[in-house]
Amino acid sequence: MNEPGEQEVIVVIDDDAAMRLSCRKILAKAGYRVETFEDGAQGLEGVARLKPGLAVVDLKMPGLSGLEVIARVHQLDPLTVVVVITGYATIDTAVEAIKAGAYDFLPKPFSPEELRLIVGRALERRRLVLDSRRGEMERELLKRRFVTFVSHQLQTPLAAVHQYLSVLRQLEDLGEAGGRRREWIERCLKRSEEMQTIIRDWLTLARLEGDRLVRQCARVDLRQIIPNILATYAEMAAAERVTLEARLPEEAAWVRGDLNCLNVLFDNLIVNAIKYNRPGGRVTISAEALGGEVEVAVADTGVGIPPQYQEFLFDEFFRIRGEGAKKTAGTGLGLSIAKKIVTELGGSIAVVSEPGVGSTFRVRLPAWREPAAEEGRDGSAA
Amino acid sequence: MAASVKVLVIDDDEDFRASLRPVLETQGYAVLEAESGDEGLKKLVEHRPNVIIVDIMMESSTEGYGVTQAIRWQEAYQDFRGIPIIMVSSIEQSPEERFPMAGELDMIRPDTYLTKPLDFPRLLETLRRIAAPS
Repeated sequence: MNEPGEQEVIVVIDDDAAMRLSCRKILAKAGYRVETFEDGAQGLEGVARLKPGLAVVDLKMPGLSGLEVIARVHQLDPLTVVVVITGYATIDTAVEAIKAGAYDFLPKPFSPEELRLIVGRALERRRLVLDSRRGEMERELLKRRFVTFVSHQLQTPLAAVHQYLSVLRQLEDLGEAGGRRREWIERCLKRSEEMQTIIRDWLTLARLEGDRLVRQCARVDLRQIIPNILATYAEMAAAERVTLEARLPEEAAWVRGDLNCLNVLFDNLIVNAIKYNRPGGRVTISAEALGGEVEVAVADTGVGIPPQYQEFLFDEFFRIRGEGAKKTAGTGLGLSIAKKIVTELGGSIAVVSEPGVGSTFRVRLPAWREPAAEEGRDGSAA
Repeated sequence: MAASVKVLVIDDDEDFRASLRPVLETQGYAVLEAESGDEGLKKLVEHRPNVIIVDIMMESSTEGYGVTQAIRWQEAYQDFRGIPIIMVSSIEQSPEERFPMAGELDMIRPDTYLTKPLDFPRLLETLRRIAAPS
């Protein structure tokens, strides 16, 4: 499609001067820029130079035949649409033209309205093709950038480890800097662990693709699994001087989910709430049944998330950095994993946050329904 | 070497800076560090280094190009316009690939582009070639 305001160019190739003139008149009146040529060779030169959106080609011409012209137009630009006009309109010639790559054909004589209609349709078709082509290119570009980015995230810790090892080898030869050796080895270990975590998280994310998860769903009581997860992180919380607290309903809170995935989901949210907290802070996890859903809220009293970053929070590899950001190890995948799990389970996740005060992540998951009951409901609704 | 050559290393990866420092120092270079593009530009003005090593992807963006662009084109840094710049990155995406439009690239073309992990002998050879004490 041309830019808005730019005139669409149409090339007309016909040996009949009267036909060229009337095509020019009709199409110029319809707002197109029209260039006409009297034979195939000149016409192809014109197509190469003008790069038209559409070519109107007479099938029977001296010199290059119409069918040859169609093929060569498409060699120049496969996206130029060709409409064939012919005085010998038989089914056979039409089929031949379409086989050769023409979009449609128009038998002579035709009315101005018929020409305008077919040209309009042909150009519309071209627009659709161009649009979908553009979408494909955008997706491809995004994918390429993403691959570059992932490889950067993986290469960075590896490069650090490699450099430390090179230094250690070099300084060993020189017998220097012995005191820092231990520190560098510790850093190597830390960075290789970081890389392992990235790969593990990345794999988790990749495995979550598709609907397998939904098919494995069973009845899970959040009131039971949440205290278990909290117990796992008691030590970490104590080390950060953060208090963990659960506010759970009296009754069982059944959701439809996969136990492993729910564990990963709440692991990620609770670890974040501890990591991005402050000494003496608190993490509160509460669950509540709300109609057909169960809402779990994980609230911290930590650094909070500046409003401008909140919309990117669930993006893969997104991490808040820069001034004031807490220097905390992390892969930038935890919340993407959380979001993916919640989405696959048919729920939703949202965050409310105030910098310096804290953040609350709210997860809503579909409550468990007995399959029989569900069928009955569907039946009565139909 | 009478006056030592000052190298400014701009990289948000602490380990990259920490592992590079001893390599440069044992060769007689003085090392300055900055962990962001902004900090790097400040240290450039304050300490007037002789050469810059800058990471391309900092804070998940192409900040290294921003630093180069500022030094080469902004008035505030006109005293340093000719300083040799070595760009480094852990991805093997050349500046030509990153900025396919020729005009853009000419504004930010580094003197040298090296990939991480740095090949130290090659880095030292490059420094000897392009950096001189002031």
